[in-house]
Amino acid sequence: MSRIFHLSIVIATLFIIPTVSLAFAAETAGEYIDRKAEIWNLFFRMMTVAFVVGGVIAGTMVWQVWRFRESNPKSKPTPYEEKGEL
Amino acid sequence: MGHSNWAEWIYVAVVIALLVYVGAEAWNIENLIEHTPQDAEIIKVTAQQWLWTFEHEDGTKEVGELHLKKDHAYKFEIQSIDVNHNFNIPEFVVLMDAVPGRVNTVWFSPNQAGEFDIQCREYCGLIHYNMRAKLIVEGV
Repeated sequence: MSRIFHLSIVIATLFIIPTVSLAFAAETAGEYIDRKAEIWNLFFRMMTVAFVVGGVIAGTMVWQVWRFRESNPKSKPTPYEEKGEL
Repeated sequence: MGHSNWAEWIYVAVVIALLVYVGAEAWNIENLIEHTPQDAEIIKVTAQQWLWTFEHEDGTKEVGELHLKKDHAYKFEIQSIDVNHNFNIPEFVVLMDAVPGRVNTVWFSPNQAGEFDIQCREYCGLIHYNMRAKLIVEGV
């Protein structure tokens, strides 16, 4: 089952999606757009997403280092440390 | 291990949501940008070391200069007769490779009148830095 699922994802990526996008590009006529505004707005939206993701990941790492430091009053020794194996 | 993993599921869901959002937005804008309006005038652009030649639909040719009308759509058919170049109008974010043996297309509609730069954006040899042309957009 999993193999079929993976195979279908590969086929969709390689063949179906490019074919569908080509077909749509050929059929529908475009509208007048402000190319500069569209492209830069997309860029700013993507940058917002990128910075939010970066902030969350960096924040998680800072929190982990702070929370699981040895000197934190809430920290408990791991089972290995309790037995003196580490 | 009998621990709670709700935080991991939320993390996975947020990652999937972000990826879907990024993909959908990019797909949507790319579709908008690639679909040429039906009334677009076709302009054949020929790149060569180190100048640009433009041919309008009525057969008029221009070298190193391109005259267009404001608020009208233009579709460029870009080709090169020697090496790789890149057709670039920075002011209107138009950018497309000119590759020998291929015709690449890009369209835009100038929404302001004035004089703008056209430049080669792919290193193409000694005088690449000066492979420029002038875009003149005339108000209607």
